[in-house]
Amino acid sequence: MASDSEPKAVDPAFTKSVVDKGADTVTLCFQCGTCTGGCPSGRVTAFRTRKMMRRVQLGFKDEVLPAEELWLCTTCTTCDERCPRGVKITDIIMTLRNMAVREGYMAEAHKNTARSLMKSGHAIPLGDAFRKMRETLGLHSEPPTVLSDKEALDEVKKIIKATHFDELVG
Amino acid sequence: MDEEEEIRIGVYVCHCGLNIGATVDCEEVAEHAKTLDDVVYAEHQMYTCSEPGQQQIRDDIKEHRLNRVVVASCSPKLHEETFRNACEEAGLNKYLLEMANIREHCSWVHLHEKEGATDKAKDLVAMAVAKARLLRPQIEKKVPVRKSAMVIGGGVAGIQAALDLGDCGYKVYLVEKEASIGGRMAQIDKTFPTMDCSICILAPKMSEIGRHPNVEVLTNATVRHIDGYIGNFSVLISQKTRYVTDECTVCGDCTDVCPVTTPNEFDLGLTTRKGIYIPFPQAIPSSFIVDMDLCLNEANVRACNKCIEACERECIDFDMDPEKEIQIEVGTIIVATGMKSFDPRGLEEYGYGRYPDVLTTLEFERLINASGPTEGHLIRPSDGEQPKNVAFIQCVGSRTEDRGNPYCSNICCMETIKDALLIKEHWPEIEITVFYMDIRAFGKGFEDLYKRAREEGARFIRGLPFDIKKNPDGTLRVRGENTTLQEIYDTDFGMVILSVGLEPQDDKEDIQRLLNISTDSNGFFLEAHPKLKPIDTPTGGVFLAGTAEAPKDIKDSVTQASAAASRANRLMIRGEVTVEALTPIIDAELCTGCGACEKVCPYGAITADKEAKLATVVEAACAGCGTCGAQCPTGAITMRHFTDDQIMAQIDHALERDPQDKVLVFACNWCSYAGADLAGVSRMQYPTSSRVIRLMCSGRVAEKFVMRAFEKGAAAVLVSGCHLQDCHYISANQQTLKRVKRWKKKLEKKGIDPDRLQLEWISAAEGDRFASKMKEMHEIVSQVTAKDIGKTKKALKAKA
Repeated sequence: MASDSEPKAVDPAFTKSVVDKGADTVTLCFQCGTCTGGCPSGRVTAFRTRKMMRRVQLGFKDEVLPAEELWLCTTCTTCDERCPRGVKITDIIMTLRNMAVREGYMAEAHKNTARSLMKSGHAIPLGDAFRKMRETLGLHSEPPTVLSDKEALDEVKKIIKATHFDELVG
Repeated sequence: MDEEEEIRIGVYVCHCGLNIGATVDCEEVAEHAKTLDDVVYAEHQMYTCSEPGQQQIRDDIKEHRLNRVVVASCSPKLHEETFRNACEEAGLNKYLLEMANIREHCSWVHLHEKEGATDKAKDLVAMAVAKARLLRPQIEKKVPVRKSAMVIGGGVAGIQAALDLGDCGYKVYLVEKEASIGGRMAQIDKTFPTMDCSICILAPKMSEIGRHPNVEVLTNATVRHIDGYIGNFSVLISQKTRYVTDECTVCGDCTDVCPVTTPNEFDLGLTTRKGIYIPFPQAIPSSFIVDMDLCLNEANVRACNKCIEACERECIDFDMDPEKEIQIEVGTIIVATGMKSFDPRGLEEYGYGRYPDVLTTLEFERLINASGPTEGHLIRPSDGEQPKNVAFIQCVGSRTEDRGNPYCSNICCMETIKDALLIKEHWPEIEITVFYMDIRAFGKGFEDLYKRAREEGARFIRGLPFDIKKNPDGTLRVRGENTTLQEIYDTDFGMVILSVGLEPQDDKEDIQRLLNISTDSNGFFLEAHPKLKPIDTPTGGVFLAGTAEAPKDIKDSVTQASAAASRANRLMIRGEVTVEALTPIIDAELCTGCGACEKVCPYGAITADKEAKLATVVEAACAGCGTCGAQCPTGAITMRHFTDDQIMAQIDHALERDPQDKVLVFACNWCSYAGADLAGVSRMQYPTSSRVIRLMCSGRVAEKFVMRAFEKGAAAVLVSGCHLQDCHYISANQQTLKRVKRWKKKLEKKGIDPDRLQLEWISAAEGDRFASKMKEMHEIVSQVTAKDIGKTKKALKAKA
């Protein structure tokens, strides 16, 4: 990411590519700041919704896609409710996240979740405590999902390969 | 003109600089025009509307003995008058001019389709030439213009317009629905940018009009019905009675004893008033009035006599008729019906209506007015204490897609700046913060005032608050983002003022229907042309003034009012006006007196005599919609300048080449054609498949036009007109609705897909609707196969 003292790299094609992916309302934003004012994440983090929209409008790709703030939005859609211009802010953030991942920017926590999915077929792995609890309830220790069905798990892995999901995680 | 005379047509294709020339190959279009029947001369010019361009037409009429002229350029709504005058100056009857709209309907809407646009322009010229060959000279009728005017709305705009016209010597009726004239300006404390006392500068004008010998002020009055046309309007007004005679001296003895109270509308409910009251001290007429909804007495029930006993002059009379009807005859009408302010109750995040110390700007005006609820003291409604700090929030209900109105309300920035200064002037210790996103201080003296407010210490923070919450101590917590510092603010205020926008009045639709005028997409009345006829409406003799047309400040309202008076004066001073020669002529040979025309005429301007087997037209009453012509079963009616033959020739030429790729569009002059023009002006792009034929009203579209189009192989046909309630010919488009339904059934019976015939109501303000309808029609065209068209032609020929 460029530091504040260096001139920022402007990439008009970036703005266009965001618009082309369906986030066309981003151009309507007139920076009133209502979104940031009500953002529950922005009150406790460095995330500034309005600033994110501005950076997209100006084509500051290098300040958007690698930015950690991009992952600080909780997608609660409070900003969408109050935006006077009808900018679909949450949708735009989701679009940006998809773009960021394709460019290789994914938070480590998300990567871990993805890896778990690729390995076990579940985003959240089953721990020993749960296995025990299942047994005390008279259930099989492994639930009747991919966890106990080798063939099904192979199919999930096939899908992950076919959709190149594994390549995104890296 | 001699029937046998040789037709000699001159065609002028205008480049309009690059407006047309950059998209349409004008030279090619002019060359194509030369190949058309009876065209003896054709050329392309840079600007046909320029003086040299017009001179060329005048010269050519003489040199080439032209007896018909076709100009392919912009919309006839813009320059038909220009070219008609050029023809007349060269001795050619002005009805021998025809225009092809290759700008608004072609080059501007097909910016990137040069080939398709050029092809379309050729067709549009061919259609115009085909009509021109059949044009006949017409003689226009002159109608007298009454030297009297009605001004609807007694706010500052209405007052100014009425004063100007009264001073010119015309009889003026000023109709106001409230109990006093004065409008919003009477409620405001000070005006910007000069900080004048609002009522102090308005009251002299109000009393001047009250005693003006030429002006009759009708308060408590509503316009019920309007008949007639330019120069000759008959207006029915109903006026509610005051129950107080003119003898009233405004002593106030009656109101002191009146036992009933209600919130005072003038103070926006911040105070109360009695059942017998005067709206405000400077009210005109200067008289008390009884609010019968509140008074304990009813029509025949006398429950309370207190006011009658208190009134020494015996001015109160409960036996008066509750309402009277007044019939007036006027030549011109000025609409100055004003606006209302946005109600922020729907924006729950700001807590208006829940938190008493959140006020609107208009409430604030009353609050700090010397004759207002607190006698000019700035105190909190919740506890009567003076706030230590005050916040203003801008753009409340303005510039928003779905939380108010999409437009900028024009006055709110300056109103806030003025209010901030007012507070600082009286109470310099009160801190002021203005939350805004843009400050628009564009007018004369505005920037100075903005600077002064900053000098006096008002703080301006860029970033609209997200919400307001009430603290336990009663203060209001405003939170949002300071966008210039990129920091979140959480600030407590003693009072918050919402700078609310302006909205059209609730009764705008009544006025719109009474006068056959249009509103824009925001509900403000639409001007005849946004640049060159900003005061006129499409209805002749009706003009606009003040905020009914768009949000504006007092100065602009007064300016526009004087302009409206001047436009009305221009008509009345001449005493007569020519009306277009568009009325029908009945062929006595063909007419059977069946009365079909009489049944559909919205004006009762045609009467059929069954015994004499003849219908007759009352020309003065006829407005020329042509609905009778479309209904006549024997073809006995000829609509002048829009004859069956002319329209048929336009249809044939529109569909001469590749009809299977085309949509034939019938558009009414007032709404849908103007809507198509707006699509052009707004550069809304749509496919090149459409060919528009302009008629005065959709009621002119006859069955044979539609069937001819399909017989010629058109893929689709669109009939378009004004929205049902907004027809410029009262209700002629109701006939259109019935007819199109019937024709669709007929098509279906013949095995033709009825969806190929479409009906759409498009107002003059709905350019986007026209453009999207054109795209939709293009979709229909792409689904119609050659086989379908072959079948259609066969089915329609079988009947013939």
